[in-house]
Amino acid sequence: MTDAAQPSPETVIAFRDVSKRFGQTVAVDRVSFSVGAGETVSLLGPSGCGKTTTLRLISGFEDPDEGVIEIAGESMVGKRPYERNVGLLFQHYALFPHMTVAENIAYGLKHRRWPKAEIGERVDEMLRLVQLQGFGDRRPGQMSGGQQQRVALARVLATRPKLVLLDEPLSALDAKLREELRVELKQILAAVGSTTIVVTHDQDEAMSLADRIIVMNRGRIEQQGTPDEIYARPLTPFVAAFIGRANWFHGRIAAAAGEGLCQLATDAGTMLAIPHPGGAGGGSWSACIRPERVVVMALGAAGGAGENRLPGQIVDVVNMGAELHYIVDGAEGRLMAVEPNRAGPRVRRGDRVQLLFRADDCVVLPRKPD
Amino acid sequence: MSGRALDNGLRLLGLVMIGVIVCFLVTPIFVTAVMAFDARPYLGPLPPPALSLRWFAKFFSDDYFLRGLGTSVELAVLSVTVSVCVGVATAIAVERASFRGKEALISFFLSPLIVPPVVTGFALLLFLSKMGVINGFARLLCGHIIITAPYTIRATLAGLSGIDVSLTEAALSLGATERHAFWDVTFPLARTGIVSGAIFAFAVSMDDVAVSIMLTDANTYTLPVALISSMRANFDLSIAAASVMLMLLTLALIVVLDKFVGLNRAIGQGVFRS
Repeated sequence: MTDAAQPSPETVIAFRDVSKRFGQTVAVDRVSFSVGAGETVSLLGPSGCGKTTTLRLISGFEDPDEGVIEIAGESMVGKRPYERNVGLLFQHYALFPHMTVAENIAYGLKHRRWPKAEIGERVDEMLRLVQLQGFGDRRPGQMSGGQQQRVALARVLATRPKLVLLDEPLSALDAKLREELRVELKQILAAVGSTTIVVTHDQDEAMSLADRIIVMNRGRIEQQGTPDEIYARPLTPFVAAFIGRANWFHGRIAAAAGEGLCQLATDAGTMLAIPHPGGAGGGSWSACIRPERVVVMALGAAGGAGENRLPGQIVDVVNMGAELHYIVDGAEGRLMAVEPNRAGPRVRRGDRVQLLFRADDCVVLPRKPD
Repeated sequence: MSGRALDNGLRLLGLVMIGVIVCFLVTPIFVTAVMAFDARPYLGPLPPPALSLRWFAKFFSDDYFLRGLGTSVELAVLSVTVSVCVGVATAIAVERASFRGKEALISFFLSPLIVPPVVTGFALLLFLSKMGVINGFARLLCGHIIITAPYTIRATLAGLSGIDVSLTEAALSLGATERHAFWDVTFPLARTGIVSGAIFAFAVSMDDVAVSIMLTDANTYTLPVALISSMRANFDLSIAAASVMLMLLTLALIVVLDKFVGLNRAIGQGVFRS
């Protein structure tokens, strides 16, 4: 794993063994990580995983029970939110309804004691950055959700915060607008070169915005790494299940099977070739395969070496537009395959097929005790 | 079919009820308003044969009434000022704190609304006499603060509860201290609540009889108390004229209130959702 919490000149924020409890509940449990200058990191996890508490700890609305939080090398113990210069973008924007857009953007500048003359200039600059020139005199209530979000972003970035925190930045918008704003958000953050932490439960948001993802569950960090690493090499069953979709097989390792591979005798009674997990072998393991790595073929078609084949029957073909989702029932239960929606003959509901996937594409993880 | 007939019947019944209630509320006020303009020098049957402003003239030439009006206005302005300050401070303190029995404490603050005003007035009379407060105006002021404060507390609490916590947090994260965040964000957004509380409090103070009647002395009395006393002594229609003016005052207050609330709605569109 990455060398967490090593203070270096470029580390903007460092968590070292930070814990936070609310009564009996441990919201954040000995969490350590660090974010370097210019990096965009996503805290990803289901609700209640501790990501929001982590965000509130960084912004100063909560104080840690244990551990150290440093921003730009300076301990944040006892620092009030307004002493931190951390920009926080709220999920529901939190724009001041009784102020104009320009007044909203100027608010932070005023309280960070910018010279009066520069405030007006900076507000105009920010309005240009988020492409809302001419909207300065509007009230937030007169604007669409997407525009409000951009005003909120301009307000956050205006004071040039050391660190920008985005709390579920796109979740309040509808799907189409979300796509547009995601691209725009990424461009704006890159343009100002800010160090950013995106807190989200939405894996798409995390995968698309972040250079690095920190997956949290039950107050702890499950895994951190690039989006590619997290997706292709999940280290725990939780990460594999939470990020993307996966078909699961549970069983015992039976025998070695060629170069780096072994046989998994599944509970349902099939033998699957999977990468060898290392060690002495034996014991209970789980293997998973991503649906887009599974190929649906007619029965009897030939496959290559190191490929697994599972016969089954198509239960449903779901047309998602860009791709087709095949739901297949077989000896291993219900499996899923995803293929691009290309022209040509298709298998139909009720057809008997075989599912092919390469042993190398499987991810092997210790079996979770049930 | 029969279900539909029943529905229609019930709807009709509802409309009739609305009509009855409107008549019930409006008729006495209408009668009073008409009688106030009666030109006859005595109390005659409806409708008056001619209209004049004689009763208004009589009201304004009567020192007894004018003195009562003066005291009432003075009292209302002072007691509302005090109870707005007290109410806003109390509401903010209670709203921010979280402790056991918070709800109970709020109910306690609002208890003057439930305690019969006669009881409040009498208890205050006894208490203030024991304390040696014999000045009539001071006694009235105490009484009016007690009966108006619940309105300002409750209205401010209602105003505060509509304000999203994240607005204050946004102000703090932008570099404002708690004190600045309060004056820049919380207070302007709670203003509607505070103003409507103040207007209600003013109306209550102008209107009160039960508490005031206990606390008046020979020289200091409020307009409602003066109206009641004069009604016993020599009943004439200047009371109707006074009622019309009180009604107009209330109407004016409602217009002001509506303007404020309406104004805020225009400004605050979409704030309080989420």
